[in-house]
Amino acid sequence: MLTCFGIPLGMMALSSLHSDEAGWTLANYGRIIGSAYFWGVLISTLRLAAIVTASTLILGYTLAYYIVFHLHNGIARRVVYAILITPLFTSAIVLSFGWILMLGPAGAINHWLRALGIIDRPLDLLYSWTGIAIALTYTMLPLMVLTISSVLQNIDRVLLAASADLGGGPFATFVAVTFPLSLPGVATGSLIVFALSVSAYVVPSIMSGGRHLVISMLIYQQYMVVFDFGFGAALSIVLLIVTFIIIGIYSVVLERSSSTAWEPT
Amino acid sequence: MIRRVLLGSFAGLMLCYLAAPLVVIFAVSITTTRFLKFPPMGFTFNWYVQFFSDANYMDAFWLSIRLAVVVTIIALLLGVTAGFVLSRGDFRGKNAISAAFLSPLVLPTVVFGVAMLQFATILGFAHSFISLVIGHIVVVLPYVVRTTLATLARFDTTTEEAALDLGARPFTTFMLVTLPQIKSGIIAGGLFAFIFSYSNVEISIFQSRDALITFPVKLFDYVQYSLDPLLAAASAITVLFAIAAIILLDLAVGIDKALSGR
Repeated sequence: MLTCFGIPLGMMALSSLHSDEAGWTLANYGRIIGSAYFWGVLISTLRLAAIVTASTLILGYTLAYYIVFHLHNGIARRVVYAILITPLFTSAIVLSFGWILMLGPAGAINHWLRALGIIDRPLDLLYSWTGIAIALTYTMLPLMVLTISSVLQNIDRVLLAASADLGGGPFATFVAVTFPLSLPGVATGSLIVFALSVSAYVVPSIMSGGRHLVISMLIYQQYMVVFDFGFGAALSIVLLIVTFIIIGIYSVVLERSSSTAWEPT
Repeated sequence: MIRRVLLGSFAGLMLCYLAAPLVVIFAVSITTTRFLKFPPMGFTFNWYVQFFSDANYMDAFWLSIRLAVVVTIIALLLGVTAGFVLSRGDFRGKNAISAAFLSPLVLPTVVFGVAMLQFATILGFAHSFISLVIGHIVVVLPYVVRTTLATLARFDTTTEEAALDLGARPFTTFMLVTLPQIKSGIIAGGLFAFIFSYSNVEISIFQSRDALITFPVKLFDYVQYSLDPLLAAASAITVLFAIAAIILLDLAVGIDKALSGR
């Protein structure tokens, strides 16, 4: 594992510090830091990841809560889980293609909204940041739901009953008991979704239609279009560092708390 | 009561959100028009017939299947062994090694994809089946290790001890006692490995060349340059694959047990 995973990354780190003309150099990193263009792309990428994390968290928490506390019928539960993980098992390209069909000017959403008389002119959703965020939220939602529901599942129901016995209404019980106990799941789910969104490649590149850029697309360009491996490697290392910072913040937030990430069994 | 109804309808909306793009793909794939049209016009399986007779698509499709099979077998051998060592063994650096095995889960796949490209280029095996296999194994291995670790964590070792006490040799004990008990974890891990290899883009896109294009990379090219109902049929086939895998997972382990972490 170390050879397969660590060595390629190590070699890439070395190549980011090397150029054919100048030998060992920090020039690639200098170029990144001095480039307003790069900072623009980095900020759009982080903003996209933040929006996607927030929306998956709100939507995913509510859905997970419903599945764990209100969905008791065995068959219904299995169907819901099946619908939930179909996107997870489907290639991101296919999902993005589905969203092109949904969001296009003659797509499903515009068709339905017009049929309902809500709009008369098609909404311009495709190839916009909104469209990218909708599709990326979609691909991340199952991970968030699974992570949070596995935590909610393990909350001791006796605590909830105790809160109710002591006069706590459903809302008070949620605020004072359920939600605090589910925080590890919220943190882990947000970590996974944020880290994967920052580095997502397929969904942004298809859903942007070439009009917007995120870091991973910049990296792809350097390797496959510009053939500047050194600069591409430096960008990759920066993306890796961003991910490490996210993980670092997460472990500080969750210090010594037990691991509660979704574990497929 | 109102709370229940509100929550229930919200959940219903979310399920529509999750299902809608997939349903729309199926809908568009049966249109008789030559361009993408929603709602579809008429009804035909013509695009599916075209898909299965398109040599370009078929080559890529079978390459992806072959790749996923090879990757799954190797990942299971490595991942189950690693799971055993990490779960049963007691040695220094165990936690660090566990972390190293699981880290590719959140590390950027694109970064690993380009690192793998540089690595394979320097060693002279880039753009080959081997480089695809190695890259995919690194990506799917964590899932196999996790499922094995999770299954072993619930494993009752007394049955193994009983078998050994009764004179069974370690190999016999493994085959007759241990393996049947962790079978479901292995099947789940294998399914994850197969599906995530079959649908991978971030590694494959950097290792592809003209005669070696995996199915997702092929779809990726098409989706950027030619949107037509044939692409919808090809995509629908991929969704059917996912559904088949989920049904298998349900039969093997029970879907809510596999996912809800109980």
